[in-house]
Amino acid sequence: MADLKSVPSRSPSIVTRKTGNEYVLVPVTNNIADMNSVYTLNETGAFIWELIDGKKNVGDLIDALITEYNIERETATSDAFSFIDNMSKYLIIR
Amino acid sequence: MRRYNLNIAGYNIGFESTVDGPELVPSERFLRNISGGTECEVLIRIHSGGITLPGGSEKVFDAPYVEEINNIRIKKSDNFWSVFKNQSDLFIRTIFPLSSDNRSGILKFSLKTKEWDLWIEGTGKAADPMEYPLDGLILYYLTVIHGDIMIHASGVNNTGSGYVFCGVSGKGKSTMAKLWDKAGVRIIHDDRLILRNTGNGFNMYNTPVYQNDKPAESPLNRIFIIEHGNKNELNPVRGASAVSMVIANCIQHNWDPEIIAGLLGSVSVMCSKIPVAMLRFRPDESIIDHILENEGGL
Repeated sequence: MADLKSVPSRSPSIVTRKTGNEYVLVPVTNNIADMNSVYTLNETGAFIWELIDGKKNVGDLIDALITEYNIERETATSDAFSFIDNMSKYLIIR
Repeated sequence: MRRYNLNIAGYNIGFESTVDGPELVPSERFLRNISGGTECEVLIRIHSGGITLPGGSEKVFDAPYVEEINNIRIKKSDNFWSVFKNQSDLFIRTIFPLSSDNRSGILKFSLKTKEWDLWIEGTGKAADPMEYPLDGLILYYLTVIHGDIMIHASGVNNTGSGYVFCGVSGKGKSTMAKLWDKAGVRIIHDDRLILRNTGNGFNMYNTPVYQNDKPAESPLNRIFIIEHGNKNELNPVRGASAVSMVIANCIQHNWDPEIIAGLLGSVSVMCSKIPVAMLRFRPDESIIDHILENEGGL
């Protein structure tokens, strides 16, 4: 479970393509059974994704969300943890 | 035959039996794709017997043998086909599950060379070098080389306008093709298509799957992601959502980041030029009028 000091990093086994303000993410896989998993990041997800560099911690991501979208800390915290939990579940970030 | 060419989806593929190789006997579904001349973009030499994969070859992709009965996928065996990599050489090792004897094959190829080699073991004196599953695998890697798209989709051409209906098993590809066929519209295929960027647009092509398949192609004007529903409903999809919905229906061997990036690029370009929509449909003829009345607004 991530906390404010956790430092997320992107999985090297993901290929991305930016389309407008969004991203399409496709995992590298070695089995045909897994080959049609594709993920989409909306604009907020794309913003967080671009900040994830293996150096910034979750607290930094929340601060950046507050600055970028002028939202309450509570909302930004919920958005950041929700994103990280979801992406971790699919092994897209770790 | 000792040598012939097939033209499938605009790819000119040459097959040549080596001195010790088998007589080449393409199955009926390929006979209408045999083309004249000796020029080809890839030449596959066919040998009898087997080879041992070079030391250090790494298995990079694996497929079990799955049979589909009434849209239910049943795994029959772990052992079907696999892709191995050894430096820039690739190898596909496969069994031929539809053959009456216990044949197996190894295709040695590369994404950069135009001469490939195929060894078929247990073949006797005659062989079809495009026997299932090699046909789909060879065509798939040709799409990778050319930056094209192989997709689970049916396709129709209605008075010059090409519509593609994408969906994995059970989503209604064949049903949709049957409905258009009943309405007298030209069917390109009901299951699998190759989509190619012509420079001036995109074309769809069929590939020989059934014994009676004839080569067919059409310009591509609309892409629909289909699923069955209680009513007919068409909703445009754009941007990353369109790309991800289309790519989820593509045939893809995602063991190599470069292959994935290539497909992502091709699908992104296509989705920026061809309107994409989600289509829920009732499986009756009303869907045809619904599409024709609404596709202009996509």
